Amino acid sequence: MVVLREGICPGLNQDLVQALRNVDIRTVEDLVSANLEELAQKCSVSYKALIAVRRVLLAQHAAFPVSCADLYEELLSSTAILSTGNHCLDKLLDSGLYTGEVTELIGGPGSGKTQVCFSTAVHISCQLKQSVVYIDTNGGMSANRMLQMLQAKTSTMEEQMAALQRIQVFRVFDVFSLLKCLQNISAGEVEMACVGTSVKALILDSVSAVLSNMLGGKQTEGMSLMMQVAGELKTISKDLSVAVLVTNHATRDGSGQLRAGLGQSWSHVPRTRVLLHRVKRPGASSGLRLATLTKSSRQSCQVEEEFDLSGWRGPEDTKAGYSGKRKLECDNPGVG
Amino acid sequence: MHRTIASLPLAPSVKTKLTSAGFDTCADLKDLRPLQLCKEAGISQEEALEVLQTLRSDEGVGGAAAVRGGVTALQLLQKEHALGDIITFCSALDSALGGGVPVGKTTEVCGAPGVGKTQLCVQLAVDVQIPVCLGGQGGQALYLDTEGSFLVQRAADVAQAAVEHCTLLAHDHEQQAALKDFTVENILSRLWLVRCHDYVELLAHCYLLPDFLTKHPEVQLVVIDSIAFPFRHDFEDFSQRTRLLNGLAQQLIQLATEHSVAVVLTNQMTTKVWNGQSKLVPALGESWGHAATQRLILHWEGTQRLASIFKSPSQMEATVPYCITECEAMSGSSNEEKTFRRFLELFLREMKPHCWRTNRLRCGQ
Repeated sequence: MVVLREGICPGLNQDLVQALRNVDIRTVEDLVSANLEELAQKCSVSYKALIAVRRVLLAQHAAFPVSCADLYEELLSSTAILSTGNHCLDKLLDSGLYTGEVTELIGGPGSGKTQVCFSTAVHISCQLKQSVVYIDTNGGMSANRMLQMLQAKTSTMEEQMAALQRIQVFRVFDVFSLLKCLQNISAGEVEMACVGTSVKALILDSVSAVLSNMLGGKQTEGMSLMMQVAGELKTISKDLSVAVLVTNHATRDGSGQLRAGLGQSWSHVPRTRVLLHRVKRPGASSGLRLATLTKSSRQSCQVEEEFDLSGWRGPEDTKAGYSGKRKLECDNPGVG
Repeated sequence: MHRTIASLPLAPSVKTKLTSAGFDTCADLKDLRPLQLCKEAGISQEEALEVLQTLRSDEGVGGAAAVRGGVTALQLLQKEHALGDIITFCSALDSALGGGVPVGKTTEVCGAPGVGKTQLCVQLAVDVQIPVCLGGQGGQALYLDTEGSFLVQRAADVAQAAVEHCTLLAHDHEQQAALKDFTVENILSRLWLVRCHDYVELLAHCYLLPDFLTKHPEVQLVVIDSIAFPFRHDFEDFSQRTRLLNGLAQQLIQLATEHSVAVVLTNQMTTKVWNGQSKLVPALGESWGHAATQRLILHWEGTQRLASIFKSPSQMEATVPYCITECEAMSGSSNEEKTFRRFLELFLREMKPHCWRTNRLRCGQ
């Protein structure tokens, strides 16, 4: 619904707006659905002028059909697969995070969600030399830990500093600031600290921290806000061709079953969903985690992979570096 | 302007009226006057005024600047180093935490009764006041007591012990001068205590905290001892409790980040029966586990007290022993000689991060 105002299209002047308003035509929708002949008589304006205005308004507000061939062409040229820097996770995600898609990590407290976010951000900014937007809503952001991860990847101070500079951090703690931040990003109003590289990944840790206190009970507003966040994330991922990684809480229900936070309606939002668990086995290292694929459009679900958070800089790293090189050298890879 | 009306912090009923009157984005409202708006959208004058005020503050500077620009991770790294940590005087725990309880983050301490949660909090409230030249933070502390377990006599004892420690550490003139001010009376006068009797008082006080912290910028530590007690009874609607707690957690995280304070929460333990076995788990339910940035669990193993880092974004999981002596929580025994060696060790360790910090900052620029 858009209000009819002077200047939103040629031919719609102050007098016309006023005349229409007198017969209770206030919005574009009202005008488009009205019977124009009757309207022309009722407010004694020219029928032709009304038709012209309606045509322009329809052209302005209607969606534009795109040919699939063009779309495919665009897909091939703009989609990139960003390796997460973790060999096992890449396997689950079919070689990494896809731009234009929302990927979700879920897990209980201390299951390593934030660590995966850090290492993904660090890998994309250091190995792939792309800018990353990191939105922190739960205070978990630790630049020191990122530096530690970078130190394991490269020994030169300049490269570490440059990589950190490519990570733009936003710290928002309520859903309204989050929406504002996302809308600024999608409008391209965010001034990146380092110019020249486009943002390829957006990491939101965590989406449930800001939403869970708005949901439930008798209030219905939380649901609307949640869907707005979802809409913004999808717009950003599609329109700017950015890979979006979000984290979500998992809690146990009465029967001890792990369930993702934010309920059923949110579970339609991410394209791919990975569940992280702690592995409790005698003799296992405390950093050992099990990742399970619970939703995917490319791989069969319930595939499991084990990886070690503490061994992030171990032999795995060389493998990950290799797969990163193979998949995405810079920003122009192809998807088959 | 791309900001949609629906994403503004306004009452849902007002938003519905605005959208049904055809206002979609903030740009549609920008040039309107309150009277015009209240006529067009069918809302009261007060509401119209509020809408326009929200719009102005949303566009204006203040919070908006922070949201728009963001910071790079490099700037954040420099800030993190500048903030520092509050030492616990237990070297094993300090090194497991990466130098102490971090300023600018929230830390939850869980433990069974008598394991030393309150002791640790009182200790931190004194330690945050150690002068900067002795490796401390030189700050003040705010203590929100919900259980009534804060004993001022205990705080005085801990303060006395801390003063004695620091006297042994002081070597040069600057440090000795700083110590003149570091007396038990002064320590106690820089420790603010708030007694909250129920969860309403606690929530109300948390809403007032930003004002308090703006008025007292020296406060670098906020302790809530304990978060669990007021929320463990008097609740019929558990989802309501979860929502209140989640909201509170976000508020505290925001407070910690924006005012650069360390927030320490204590939580009780509860028994959970699962697969026929009973297990001690932190209270307030599983979703509360996500609330604090760091979680520390204190537990007994035989007669030894152990502290485990259960989750932390920056530190490895670890379990370290600690003990509570007559005057302080410390690792090792209260044996005179050992204690002296601890001072020396502490002194050396405290000097090191300082050099490191300045180096790091220089490299960063």
